[in-house]
Amino acid sequence: MSILIDESTKLIIQGITGREGTFHGERMLAYGTKVVAGVTPGKGGGDVFGIPVFDTVRQASEATGANATVLFVPAKFTAAGAYEAIDAQIPLVITIAEHVPVHDMMGVYHIAKKSSSLVIGPNSFGVISPGKSKAGFMHDKIFTQGGVGIMSRSATNCYEIVFLLTNQGIGQSTVIGIGGDMIPGSTFIDFLPMFESDPQTKIIVTIGEIGGSDEEIAAEYIKSNIKKPVVVLIAGKNAPRGTSMGHAGAIVSEDGTGSAEKKEEKLRQSRAIIAESTEQIVQIIKDLIYIKN
Amino acid sequence: MMSFGVMTDVKLLEYKGKELLEGYGIPVQKGVVVGSAQDVPGAIKDLKAPYVLKVQIMAGGRGKAGGIKFADNGEDAQKICSKMLGMVIKNIVVKKVLIAQKVDVLDEWYLSVILDRQNKCPMVIFSPLGGVDIEETAKTCPDKIIKTSINPLLGIKDYTARYIFKKYNLDNAYFEQFLAIFKNLYRLFSDYDATLLEINPLAITDGSRLLAIDCKADIDDSSLFRHADILEFRNSLDENELVVSARKFNFLYIPIDAGGDIAVASNGSGILMSCIDLITKTGAKVGAALDLGGGATSERIAEAVKIIFRNQKTKYLFISIFGGITRCDEVAAGVKLAFQSGLSDKTIVIRLEGTNKAAALEILASIGGRVITAESISDGVKKLKTRRND
Repeated sequence: MSILIDESTKLIIQGITGREGTFHGERMLAYGTKVVAGVTPGKGGGDVFGIPVFDTVRQASEATGANATVLFVPAKFTAAGAYEAIDAQIPLVITIAEHVPVHDMMGVYHIAKKSSSLVIGPNSFGVISPGKSKAGFMHDKIFTQGGVGIMSRSATNCYEIVFLLTNQGIGQSTVIGIGGDMIPGSTFIDFLPMFESDPQTKIIVTIGEIGGSDEEIAAEYIKSNIKKPVVVLIAGKNAPRGTSMGHAGAIVSEDGTGSAEKKEEKLRQSRAIIAESTEQIVQIIKDLIYIKN
Repeated sequence: MMSFGVMTDVKLLEYKGKELLEGYGIPVQKGVVVGSAQDVPGAIKDLKAPYVLKVQIMAGGRGKAGGIKFADNGEDAQKICSKMLGMVIKNIVVKKVLIAQKVDVLDEWYLSVILDRQNKCPMVIFSPLGGVDIEETAKTCPDKIIKTSINPLLGIKDYTARYIFKKYNLDNAYFEQFLAIFKNLYRLFSDYDATLLEINPLAITDGSRLLAIDCKADIDDSSLFRHADILEFRNSLDENELVVSARKFNFLYIPIDAGGDIAVASNGSGILMSCIDLITKTGAKVGAALDLGGGATSERIAEAVKIIFRNQKTKYLFISIFGGITRCDEVAAGVKLAFQSGLSDKTIVIRLEGTNKAAALEILASIGGRVITAESISDGVKKLKTRRND
């Protein structure tokens, strides 16, 4: 098993004829991902590495039975591309671009919640189920198949942990780039139940950051629903605070929601294990495996 | 966009925010902005005395810091203005002053629209007790502040305004004016990709008019491709020179602790935050961070190192690069290039992992003792601490 994607996933690449789409499309194919179609408006009828290109997502989906799409389109076209994929009822929509306007994502978020699609990203490296399939641009050589499920708001912290785990011979079930933006399509709470019910996943790693309340909401869920061990890193304790001139921010988050302290406090109450560094996460996972054996 | 868990929004100065409000039909206190005291007489010729002068700086609480003064006539206004320009308030040099027509205020309300991350919706905040103590009001009389999530697919409807008026027993004579301001503010919020629009106070003046006396506006910096006027405003700002230099190379330079002698550079904000957390734990202070982004060539790395050390206070640079697509030997060659241009009193602790690591280590070894290589982030943090204590 694994979650979200595996060897049977049929993937569309929106923006396949663009520089990034072509470059990473080739790498996804080389990894073994079943890329079944590309979409670029106006380029339908052609092909890239033998993969047929369509003008619209709906045509691509009708012709190939695709059940996932990854968007290698520029930030300003990301919302339009996501809407098209949602409208074509693609179950999994992964958006990669950084600098997508937050108002665009707010629209995508609310439309997606009323649809059958799960949107991931933007500002995400994508999703990988090691040894099976990858949809995104992550450096796949550092990943190995195994029992640790990872979801992360930060790409770099995530790579670091995966690299250290793989070096210790500890593999991963599925690794998800949630993306670091203000409004991600999906977040920890969406993936926790999937990891909990996935037989391959034995340990769940959650890499959060300061800001927002997704970690606090995840903590509540973990407390009452998750039996598997959850290891958490919250980055940014000593990051500079944004200079806010207005009062609205202070009024909204008067209870401290968003700070690393508040997040860790909530997570501790949920029995999640808090790590201080990427290296400590790996040590905790080694200990967990040792205890189990 | 987000970086370091905070928005890197463009924050508009009061005068610029008011320009936007006016453009959306929201009545604002009449005023002009000046950058030189000589311009005052000409600038205020259409304004009626008495005047209020307000420094235009990127900081809250300017009134309590002496940044707001009153003048009875044009002569006084000019005198006060010339004193204000060049003043240092909250470590910021005053470059612009807004001179406005003083109004008699009968009552002060508070109205804002903020992008609420928690609910992924716009949120409207209103209080009948507006003014400088609004945050205090939020703590002491929370029932005097209403927070309402707006469904972005629905937008603002009349009933929300009606609810606010009923809840606080507000005079219905102001309802139509308020409704128009409310709807226009939301329209501006959506059209301009704002993450915050705040009118405080929204004053009731003696002419029974609602008037925006002060405003704050934050615009999402990822949306500037569709807001040429805001981009132009940001480019006109007098920002940290290193931030501006870094932006030219698509680096993000983030000043952190002015007393810090260490800078951190990496290819992503998550790992930067982790490095800062670990270094801070050893008791050291990080002065700045630089996000290199992806695809670093040796020339770009050399530029990044030079920009970082242009801050004289920065003595140490901690670099952590996880190769991925970035080639380690390119990074190492960049560091060498930077050292060839000087930097005799600077030290770099560097941790590289990824493609062509062996070649990278050879290049770094050829630079000599000012470059210390580390096997991991924690190893690097340890070595940095040891070197600083030498």
